[in-house]
Amino acid sequence: MSSEGGVQYSKIAEIKGPLVIVDDVSNAAFDELVEIETGEGERRLGKVLEVGNGKAIVQVFEGTTGLSISGTNAKFVGKVMEMPVSREVLGRVFDGLGRPKDGLPDPIADKFIDINGEPMNPEQRQYPKDFIQTGISVIDGMITLVRGQKLPIFSGSGMSHNLVAAQIARQASVVGTQDDFAVVFAAIGVQYSEAEYFRRSLEESGALKRSVLFLNTADDPAIERIITPRVALTVAEYLAFELGMHVLVILTDMTNYAEALREISAAREEVPGRKGYPGYLYTDLSTIYERAGKLNGRKGSVTQVPILSMPSDDITHPIPDLTGYITEGQVVLGRDLFRQGVYPPVNILMSLSRLMKDGIGEGSTRADHGEVSNQVYDAYSRAQEVRALAGIVGKAGLTEIDLKYMDVGDVFEKEFLSQATDENRTIEETLGILWRIISKLPKNEITKIKDKYVDQYYKEQ
Amino acid sequence: MAAEGRIVWVSGPAVKADGMADAKMYETVTVGNSKLVGEVIRLTGDVAFIQVYESTSGLKPGEPVIGTGNPLSVLLGPGIIGQLYDGIQRPLKELSKASGSFIGRGITTTPVDMEKNYHFVPKVNVGDEVTAGSIIGTVQETDLIEHSIMVPPDHQGGKITNIVGEGDYNLDTEIATTENSGNTFSIKMYHKWPVRKPRPFLKRYDPTVPLLTGQRVIDTFFPIAKGGTGSIPGAFGTGKTVTLHQIAKWADSQVVVYIGCGERGNEMTEVLVEFPELKDPRTGKPLMDRTVLVANTSNMPVAAREASIYTGVTIAEYYRDMGKDVVLVADSTSRWAEALREMSGRLEEMPAEEGYPSYLASRLAEFYERAGRVRASGSPDRDGSVTLVGAVSPSGGDFTEPVTTHTMRFIKTFWALDAKLAYSRHYPSINWMNSYSGYLADIAKWWGENINEDWLSLRSEAYGVLQREDTLKEIVRLLGPEALPDEEKLILEVARMVKIGLLQQNSFDDVDTYCSPEKQYKLLKLLVEFYKRGQKALKEGASLADIRALSIVGSMLKARMDIKDEEVAKLDQLDVDMQEQFKSITGVKVQN
Amino acid sequence: MASNSSLEQAIDKILEKTEKKILLDLENANSAAKQTLEDALPKIEQEYDQIISNGKKEADKIEKQITGSSDLEARNKQLTLVEESIDKVFTKALDEIANADRSGDYTNLIKSFMDESTKTLGTTEVLVFTNNKDKDIVQSLISQYPGAEVSSETIECLGGVKVKSKDGAMTFDNTIDAKIERLKPLIRKDIATQFGVVN
Repeated sequence: MSSEGGVQYSKIAEIKGPLVIVDDVSNAAFDELVEIETGEGERRLGKVLEVGNGKAIVQVFEGTTGLSISGTNAKFVGKVMEMPVSREVLGRVFDGLGRPKDGLPDPIADKFIDINGEPMNPEQRQYPKDFIQTGISVIDGMITLVRGQKLPIFSGSGMSHNLVAAQIARQASVVGTQDDFAVVFAAIGVQYSEAEYFRRSLEESGALKRSVLFLNTADDPAIERIITPRVALTVAEYLAFELGMHVLVILTDMTNYAEALREISAAREEVPGRKGYPGYLYTDLSTIYERAGKLNGRKGSVTQVPILSMPSDDITHPIPDLTGYITEGQVVLGRDLFRQGVYPPVNILMSLSRLMKDGIGEGSTRADHGEVSNQVYDAYSRAQEVRALAGIVGKAGLTEIDLKYMDVGDVFEKEFLSQATDENRTIEETLGILWRIISKLPKNEITKIKDKYVDQYYKEQ
Repeated sequence: MAAEGRIVWVSGPAVKADGMADAKMYETVTVGNSKLVGEVIRLTGDVAFIQVYESTSGLKPGEPVIGTGNPLSVLLGPGIIGQLYDGIQRPLKELSKASGSFIGRGITTTPVDMEKNYHFVPKVNVGDEVTAGSIIGTVQETDLIEHSIMVPPDHQGGKITNIVGEGDYNLDTEIATTENSGNTFSIKMYHKWPVRKPRPFLKRYDPTVPLLTGQRVIDTFFPIAKGGTGSIPGAFGTGKTVTLHQIAKWADSQVVVYIGCGERGNEMTEVLVEFPELKDPRTGKPLMDRTVLVANTSNMPVAAREASIYTGVTIAEYYRDMGKDVVLVADSTSRWAEALREMSGRLEEMPAEEGYPSYLASRLAEFYERAGRVRASGSPDRDGSVTLVGAVSPSGGDFTEPVTTHTMRFIKTFWALDAKLAYSRHYPSINWMNSYSGYLADIAKWWGENINEDWLSLRSEAYGVLQREDTLKEIVRLLGPEALPDEEKLILEVARMVKIGLLQQNSFDDVDTYCSPEKQYKLLKLLVEFYKRGQKALKEGASLADIRALSIVGSMLKARMDIKDEEVAKLDQLDVDMQEQFKSITGVKVQN
Repeated sequence: MASNSSLEQAIDKILEKTEKKILLDLENANSAAKQTLEDALPKIEQEYDQIISNGKKEADKIEKQITGSSDLEARNKQLTLVEESIDKVFTKALDEIANADRSGDYTNLIKSFMDESTKTLGTTEVLVFTNNKDKDIVQSLISQYPGAEVSSETIECLGGVKVKSKDGAMTFDNTIDAKIERLKPLIRKDIATQFGVVN
């Protein structure tokens, strides 16, 4: 459709919410990029959501504020939205639509890529199993991240998710060769200070030149947020699959993305699903999250760590809920732990890494890793039950073994979970602490670890 | 007459075209200049409403729409096993040859290799009378699958007038002809069948044979029968996919159809990588040799997701008609329902609960109705089954949402996954209080005849312990465990042992991942014996602490991992040891 | 670094990428422009080298103090310089096009622009806008398009036409400026390749 575009239409039928409805349109394609020109000559971008019977419904990314029926023109560009990519995008800062925000010229493109991407053929995927050492004990030990995984952080307002994500980005880059590692960071409706914290953190670790930043901050147009993760992932896929890099993509905050989607859906008067979010929220989110992975015959990988804040800390809210159904696990931050000042405040019982089983064990971390982490999960879960019970019947009502589990819970939180934001632990150190925790229990409580590992690592206390 | 129209409207996967007066409902059409595949789902005047199975990005009003005259169909013949298809039976491997690592559009392929030769062995002779469904010969499709070549269900049948001799032929060869009232009909090794139409059979049986999955909580507590229906609802992170993979791996069926319907890409890759490596415990052959995968992952076009369920179940019925037991696993029916909802929304139909169309329940019913153990049509006599297992992904883990509640009306086995169990790493996280099986009574006879007569009573006793524990837990929650008498504490202890030693199963452990019925029975028996002996020991003056301290407890809890299927005799030894140990504690008391 | 012959290639590439008809015409008309550019280029190159080497020196210095950000800064400086060079080449080329000879083939070029425009809009009932230089040519062609009129208003452009349907609902910008704007990213890449800064 490239050659036929370019017609500008000036018969605007309706403007509502983020939508402009153009009449008498005879030559427009679904998904086509649209340039909206305001009466004052300002240009905004949009895309076709629906076309037919002489009408085109256009979603305007930069909002419809100031548009008028008479003064507005819509030019149908003749192509879908594309992102220019080349190696030179590394070290650059773009806005939420992928335009330079650092005062430098447009990147000289090696390629122009449709920002929507195409679905990876499942037959061509390579099953992710390369361990990423983040240096954060709770992730490496209990919720292991692997290359090509999508592992979100479920957080709540005000919690330390950005610190965790930035620490992952800094420390994960240290392992392996620096050269083939890159970070793509997309700020989606977050405060400027949060985006700036991230940028500084990358700068201080010297990783900025291996990073690409896309910034749509809280005061930027909301509908632009539909595009931000897509341009970011387009660049990530290019760096990974064309240039062979291992790319870590951080998307924050996906809740703002979903809200932008809801706004469009409401303007289109679609039948809503739960909490007013559109029925296709799952499918739409999947077109973002599924752009993580590894491919046969290609060197690089795209690993995603999306961050989302759960409204009212509610994990059953549609955004975390549908995200959890798509992603390969989740790291859940707990309000209680956060209040107690624990960093990182990860609630391990609600957290999970689906790909952990393939990323750990002999040859990557250590043979006992899976079993010892299972046992610690079990013990910590027991500890929580005992704590709840102690709250009712008091410590006196507890058995001796119950008390040991309480001790396990405390040690777990103080020695294993807690760690400084600049503390980078090796996997050996992490596993060592796990065994210290398990060794607080009598041997016959250990039901999930093979005797040979118990003999090797268990140290009675 | 194939319809030829023009696109007048495009919105996502929904397209309207005019000039389509000749189109039929559910006819497949090619859409636009890039020849995308679509299906007619509504006709109004000469306007056809089409759902498009590929991305419509860039599609324009004015582009052509051309009818094919055929409903959406699958090709049925040798070569299906071991394939990974998309929702409309296009082999993903072939697609990758055309468009590389990412899925392109407008690519046409054949579902199986039409050029490949199979060794055909005729089973009928010239002059024999055949009817629709009759087997006329066989080919060895994989090491595990002897594939029957059948007279197609919509075929006239008649007298065989010609049949090729034993030898190697490809799919396009005419292998037989029949004659019926003066007309001649040709038969090849394949035929096509419309996916939305159930394949006919002679009669239906009650399901009485268990489908053994090697998963203890399923086989022992909430069994499913061959030809039955089951559902696994669960919030994310409850291990739904792992449980489904376990069923697909270890179920004692001859064919497994696994549908990844709107789920993760990597999960299909996992099956694709893992299944060729895994050996079927009964035949020792790679599991991939009996498996068909249909993958329409979440980010693939939503309309093809809707079709994937039908594509899968039609393939399952085809192998059923050969007299095989087939298991179909659909992960997840909720995503299929969402695809229905999305298309319904674009059709501007009046929505029912949560925006789902009002026909959601009837569509679910139609799907589950395609399960069953049946006598196939034609000769020779043979029985086959399709067992349907559907995952449900209730939003927010809420079992009162429409897909879960409607599904519950049409299935007989309900495996309720529980987030709390999953959080404490109790896997499979099937909640024993909320789950049920409607097949227990029907299949108890099989266990009685094949394993042991007391199976049902042992199962009831063990289940009784779990039920008692559930009530006792309320008291413990208020007063602490020390408030209970020893007899009741014993129940808590035994319940803990049942949970750890029987209900929990580590799918990543080489030994524990599959458990034979014999081993399941013996583990169950050991636990019930422990309970009985414990009760007796308490009466005879032993304390609960004595019982807890028995070394046999640890051995029993690890037996599921330590003792292999072929070593089940070791479990008998554990029983002997247990008896000795109980003697020792009651003995000590008597001496005091 | 680019030599004179590589400059020629750069120009060739720019022209190749432009639509065939423009290219044919411009190649004939712009040999003078080439000469101008050829003269200008050594100077551009010199400046370019100078700034790069200055930047490198400075970058090397910073690198010793702060690793990391320095190569980034140096790289960014380089990007800016490349862009300046591209702009210079562009300006010169556009200048030449604007002053190109309006005779012979040029009429055919404008006719093809008109044909394309009316076809895209699906009507010949149009109002045609053009600049002063092309106005006569457009006027001479207008009778071939039933219902078309040349607007009395002129527009600022290098050449070509902007066509508006009479009801005012549709406009198609088929000026040389609009065409070049569309091709600009590709042309930039070609120039940058000539300077050896894109792999």
